[in-house]
Amino acid sequence: MTTAPGLTADWTSAKWLLWIILYLCLGLLVPWVMTRAWAHQHHSAVQPRLRQLFQNGELGLVSLMLAISVIWDLQKSQFTSQTIALGSVFLAMSGIMAAAVWIESYCRRSTGTKFTPERAWRDSRNLALLVFSLAMVTEILLDRFVKVVAL
Amino acid sequence: MRLADPAATLAYVSLVFGSLLVFFPVSFPRLVVQNWQNARLTPIMIFFTVCLNLGLYLRVAHQRFGKPGIVASACLGSVPVILLAGLNFVLQATIAHTISVNAPNAVARVNEEILAHTFFALIAAIFGPFLLIRLAQQLRKDNS
Repeated sequence: MTTAPGLTADWTSAKWLLWIILYLCLGLLVPWVMTRAWAHQHHSAVQPRLRQLFQNGELGLVSLMLAISVIWDLQKSQFTSQTIALGSVFLAMSGIMAAAVWIESYCRRSTGTKFTPERAWRDSRNLALLVFSLAMVTEILLDRFVKVVAL
Repeated sequence: MRLADPAATLAYVSLVFGSLLVFFPVSFPRLVVQNWQNARLTPIMIFFTVCLNLGLYLRVAHQRFGKPGIVASACLGSVPVILLAGLNFVLQATIAHTISVNAPNAVARVNEEILAHTFFALIAAIFGPFLLIRLAQQLRKDNS
């Protein structure tokens, strides 16, 4: 196996790290800060935690957005079509499953069927973690591939 | 069985894979490619995924006070083998395609393809059986 010399300096051009921080900020931190700001503006005592803010499975929606953006990056890459298809299918599947948690909780609340916020939070959190980790590794692989192509 | 049950473990596996790529950007990919060249990668992955899937299934069954079913256990044992063997053929086709294109830096590209394929195959082999079990449970619930 020949080693691509550019791959040894991964930390110096860790675009994927910036990408993770961006998603964590825009997907989780900003909604939480906005809730706090609203409460402050309206002199309300409401100070929800992340768990309360996303208790209806909204993390599933955030996960679907994340999956879509990574699928888009994957489609633009120079990987072979088989690899792109494989990665896109798994990202799409996990994103859809995460979004299904939010849909199920919405349907349950709308129809008055038994709804457990703890379960919706736990399921959406686990699936969001899955989508996030899949997306992160895919971005790392894409970053490596770009370096290999540029050599 | 809910899909969120194996999702957390799968996320940790994925994070470990990502960490190995970041902290060992040369030696970890080299290890994967060497094992693939020696035809050891697929058996290792089969062993790892079957053990992990069975462990996960037994843990969830224990938590939910459920009795592990024989059909589900057979599914957890066979689906990773079928998936990994099938995806190995896809990888062969991918490598043949990459080499036939005559792209510059073909060897390094092939190595990256092997790495990406290994990751996606690992995820498929762990998550696939649980997805099938969940779908079967849903179908059985709808029919009864």
